[in-house]
Amino acid sequence: MLSLQGTVQKSEMGAGTWALVASTGETYEIHRGAPQELLQNGLKVQVEGTVRQDVMTMAMIGPVLEVKRFEVIS
Amino acid sequence: MKRLLLAALLGIGLLLALANAPNLGAQGTYDSIALDFQETLTDAQIQQQVEAIAQRYHVTPQLNSAFSAADHLYVVSGNARLLKLLRHSDLRQSTESIDPNYIYQAFEIPNDPDYSKQWNLRAINMEAAWHQTKGSGVTVAIIDTGVTVVPDLKDTSFVPGYDFVNDSTDASDDNGHGTHIAGTIAQSTNNNFGVAGIAYEASLMPLKVLSQSGGGTVTDIAEAIRFAADHGAGVINISLGGGGDAAVMQEAIAYAHDKGVVIVAAAGNGNSNAAAFPSRYPNVIAVAALDASGVRAPYSNFGAGVDIAAPGGVIDGENAAGGILQHTIDDETGEPVFRAFQGTSMAAPHVAAVAALIESVGIKDPDTVTAILQQSARPVPDDALNHYGAGQLDADAAVKLAQQDHLDVKDFLRWLRDSGYLNLRFWVDGGAVALLPKLGMVLGSYLLAWLLRRYVPVLSLSLGAGLIAGSSGLFPLRGFYIFDLPQFPFRVLGSSIPELGGAIGGSAALNPLFASVLIPFMLVALLLGHPQWKWVAIGSCLGVAVCLAVSAIGSPQVLWLGSGAIARSYLLVNALLCFGLAKLGAQAS
Repeated sequence: MLSLQGTVQKSEMGAGTWALVASTGETYEIHRGAPQELLQNGLKVQVEGTVRQDVMTMAMIGPVLEVKRFEVIS
Repeated sequence: MKRLLLAALLGIGLLLALANAPNLGAQGTYDSIALDFQETLTDAQIQQQVEAIAQRYHVTPQLNSAFSAADHLYVVSGNARLLKLLRHSDLRQSTESIDPNYIYQAFEIPNDPDYSKQWNLRAINMEAAWHQTKGSGVTVAIIDTGVTVVPDLKDTSFVPGYDFVNDSTDASDDNGHGTHIAGTIAQSTNNNFGVAGIAYEASLMPLKVLSQSGGGTVTDIAEAIRFAADHGAGVINISLGGGGDAAVMQEAIAYAHDKGVVIVAAAGNGNSNAAAFPSRYPNVIAVAALDASGVRAPYSNFGAGVDIAAPGGVIDGENAAGGILQHTIDDETGEPVFRAFQGTSMAAPHVAAVAALIESVGIKDPDTVTAILQQSARPVPDDALNHYGAGQLDADAAVKLAQQDHLDVKDFLRWLRDSGYLNLRFWVDGGAVALLPKLGMVLGSYLLAWLLRRYVPVLSLSLGAGLIAGSSGLFPLRGFYIFDLPQFPFRVLGSSIPELGGAIGGSAALNPLFASVLIPFMLVALLLGHPQWKWVAIGSCLGVAVCLAVSAIGSPQVLWLGSGAIARSYLLVNALLCFGLAKLGAQAS
């Protein structure tokens, strides 16, 4: 399980793609099916999840992060 | 010995000149010869000459057209051999000229009304390439969200595909991504509707592995690759990526490659320093994306694993003109719509379609197709971070190279790659170093040491270390990458002292603080008292002197000073100072 802090951003790569830009700089692609409350541009969150090594996407913006839990910071 | 060194330097200079000389043999094609008889000859005299030619060479010269009689302009069918014979015969006296009747070729400009918006097709030189082939006889598999036959794909030929997401033989698109890629490869062209595609006479095989939301599993993708290889695809386009190394994927790629399939994949859109899976696998061509000006798109991955670059477009807010325009479906309504997309997803199908063009002129071996794509690409100079791989895709140059009789495929590179040049732990960018200037710097610094042989131990290890550090650095390391790790440590190790200033940022311009007498001076000042290290310091002075002199002559690009006379003089003055410093230091000890 991965725990990281970051900002949710709407991605320019393909319709309906959302990114989590971690405070350390890496960009993760938020796996489809994440709760709507998470998918808000600019939302700062603390997230727990796993990187899906078995999933590939058309957006290709970074590792695919399946969010298990999240907490809004601001 | 001195002569030998001078001869070696001369040899390098000659090689450099030859390597940079334009291809003088490259000319137009012709299958007839134009004979322009002198104006002063009478019709009877000309008739006599014509009959003589007919008798001697078994060809009959004819007036070029009904308007040629006054000008005495005749054509005769023939090749280079006949041209030579005619030019060396006594016909020369009675003609003004005997020349090849070159064939002028018109460019193929499609009649699709929105073709003018497809900057990307002109960027890869499509109009000249279409004149030679349109991809007929080749099948391109599209492993994506499926393909829907929108109106501008109506004249495009399809072979049966498969939907691995819903396990169905109907591989229609429910997202728009796959249909867009199908358009780039083989949009119905010259149909007076919409836009054009690259290999529009090729057949498409739609394979759906991504769901409507744009994600899919490694197992479905691997199965789709095997399906394509088993059902006659010559090229596979994979505009998707992510995840990690998976044995099923690696085996599927090896299987398809062994069956003679060219596999092209998008490098990824994370703006990160390594191509994503599956594009980074050996035997997969990883494609980075370019914007409309031919520069790397800001999202495109680069560095380790990137093989070539092609237009991927950049959409700036509401302005979609910089994107790649094709006919696809709306992801919400499913209705056909002309839409511009951006991404390495859009760049990969440019390369896949040109691979299909290469196959359609008869090259089937995937390694040869890859070599042709890379050799014909327009190289981008000073690509220290490997943004572009072999360079920018050029369809016309690729098809022309594929049609040459003797293909100069780099067997050596193939051997290197198959034995570790390219694997999943490390990767080597073959184009990172301009080899000849570097060798010139190393040899030149030894030549300088030889000139000072009264004072310096030419063959000592410490002097050698200084010469290498000052002139070239451990330059083979410059193109060395370990996947997913920063590359700058290798760039630093692979740089000479003058190049260190730009090594971390990957800039080709020399930093004037580093490219000067400053560091050699500090080294000499610090180390002159030491019996061994002083030779490192003196060696570095000589090495830097040669590096600066070669740069001053070859590529005088200096930060803040430009690349003109000021930069040149700065480098030369510092080179002389370095040499003087070395001589003083050597004499003092």
